[in-house]
Amino acid sequence: MRVILMLIKKEFLQVFRNPLLMSILIVAPLVQFLLFPFTADYEIKHINIAFIDHDRSSTSQDIIKKFLGSPYFITHGILPSNDHAQALMLRDEIDFTLEFPVDFEKDLVNQQKTEIAITANAINSVKAGIGTAYVQNVIAEYMNELMAVSKPDQGSQAQILATNVYWFNEQMNYKNLIVPGILVILVTLIGAYVTALNIVREKELGTIEQINVTPIKRWQFIVGKMIPFWILGMAEFIIGLILMKLVFGITVQGSIVLLLGITAIYLLAMLGLGFFISSVSENQLQAMFIVFFLFIVFVLLSGLFTPTEGMPDWAIKLNYLNPLSFYMDVIKIIVLKGGVLQDVKIQIIALSCMAVIIDTAAILSYQENSK
Amino acid sequence: MVFSIDVQDLMKKFGDFTAVDHITFQVKRGEIFGFLGANGAGKTTAMKMMCGLLRPTSGNATIAGYSLKTQSKQIKKSIGYMSQKFSLYNDLSLFENMQLYGTIYGVKPAILKERIHDSLEDLGMDKYANKLVGSIPLGWKQKLAFATALLHQPDIVFLDEPTSGVDPIVRREFWERIYKTASTGVTIFVTTHYMDEAEYCERISIMSHGKLMLIGTPTQIKIDMKVDTIEEVFGKFVKR
Repeated sequence: MRVILMLIKKEFLQVFRNPLLMSILIVAPLVQFLLFPFTADYEIKHINIAFIDHDRSSTSQDIIKKFLGSPYFITHGILPSNDHAQALMLRDEIDFTLEFPVDFEKDLVNQQKTEIAITANAINSVKAGIGTAYVQNVIAEYMNELMAVSKPDQGSQAQILATNVYWFNEQMNYKNLIVPGILVILVTLIGAYVTALNIVREKELGTIEQINVTPIKRWQFIVGKMIPFWILGMAEFIIGLILMKLVFGITVQGSIVLLLGITAIYLLAMLGLGFFISSVSENQLQAMFIVFFLFIVFVLLSGLFTPTEGMPDWAIKLNYLNPLSFYMDVIKIIVLKGGVLQDVKIQIIALSCMAVIIDTAAILSYQENSK
Repeated sequence: MVFSIDVQDLMKKFGDFTAVDHITFQVKRGEIFGFLGANGAGKTTAMKMMCGLLRPTSGNATIAGYSLKTQSKQIKKSIGYMSQKFSLYNDLSLFENMQLYGTIYGVKPAILKERIHDSLEDLGMDKYANKLVGSIPLGWKQKLAFATALLHQPDIVFLDEPTSGVDPIVRREFWERIYKTASTGVTIFVTTHYMDEAEYCERISIMSHGKLMLIGTPTQIKIDMKVDTIEEVFGKFVKR
């Protein structure tokens, strides 16, 4: 026990005396939280739109005015022709054109039916897709208003309005999705990356040899390494939760105790991974490459940045081996949906199994006397 | 007679390369034994096997009365080791380094504190106990590493080129410490490539290409080989 305490003390002394590591531990969560959610945002603002109005009626003018007032659009005026519009789109100056046909207003009044052509620049397909939805929304909104004004007496007429209710993230605020994802990245990096680098560094310096020649037991060495980084990881996670509340006003909907408990398990798996990587790497550069390779695979598969639903079947199945994916589920379920123990049972079992397997591999791979 | 170190037919292969080729020798208790050889002769490999850092391919050794094959934990408790690379922690203080290693070796806290204090005082470094090891000169570091390797009062100390890179004055001081330590009954097993240092040893052996070429007292070896210095002896083997 004294040996373990001494090793923990040694590790903390070294962490606090290592300015680079300290700044990583402090700056990383700050930068990730303050910068990342604002850059990785699927919400589309500043859509450049122009109009081609063959009708020049009051109706078409009213619709155009609707766009002028929207915070999502930057209007580029009424263009004389389609050719003009095309040229502008080629130069990426506009993303959308809205073309009103001749007799737009007349058709609308007489036949109750008309068409508007929406042309989208689909180089950025996300922007095109979401932008189209916005444009349709604006037009639909106008039509509803128009109905209400022109036929107030027909209020009884059945009108089917599709309204979307987004559960758990009612304003469709992407930050609610990205920010908890950053928590996941933070814990993963501290767990796997910092641990791996720390141990490989001792290999490079030769200090590990001096430790290996002592009668220290294998489990003592490993526990003495894991506990300090486990504590650091938990501290980072709590800092992350506080930043999430302060900066984005996202509070944990479910039990914080449960969340911390699962994070503790996940961290054990990540520490084991870091340990394992350090055993198979000769130097810090190798360890870094392996960590980042695994990290990118894990993150892409996990569905943090891209929905898993669009992935092929085999990729979805691969996620059963991806600890990050299970942990991401936990964060989403507990932080956003307020889930309870029952809701994350599978994830807890999966993460626990992974922690046991990875840690066992780490212990076995650590050789005090090499062959 | 019971030997402090009794190496029997020790061999180590790395793939096809035989780094240590069936060596056999004995070292008496309290002896200063010099282990000589050119770079790559297999000195460090042999030493690492004796310390339990490397597993032998074949052969065995009895170190401090324990079998290398079956009692490596007991061996580790009974030996001190100072590696070729300086390997105390630069970002810990002198005191913290000694406390760490003393604790790992299971020295009781009260006794350890006293030993660290005495040891640092003896080295004349007691004023610097709280300085980071990274900030002291190399010669001091080596002396500190030696003192740290002795904290748990081992039976044998393995020193792998302890004086490489330090100035002659510190080397002299270092050897005085080695003598002092050996006089208390601690066996000193030291590798070096400074031939003048070989003359300080009670007995020496010379390794070349993984084989133990000869073993004996420096005087006897010089008489047998009809040369004046160990340097000349060494030259004959390294050229061959």
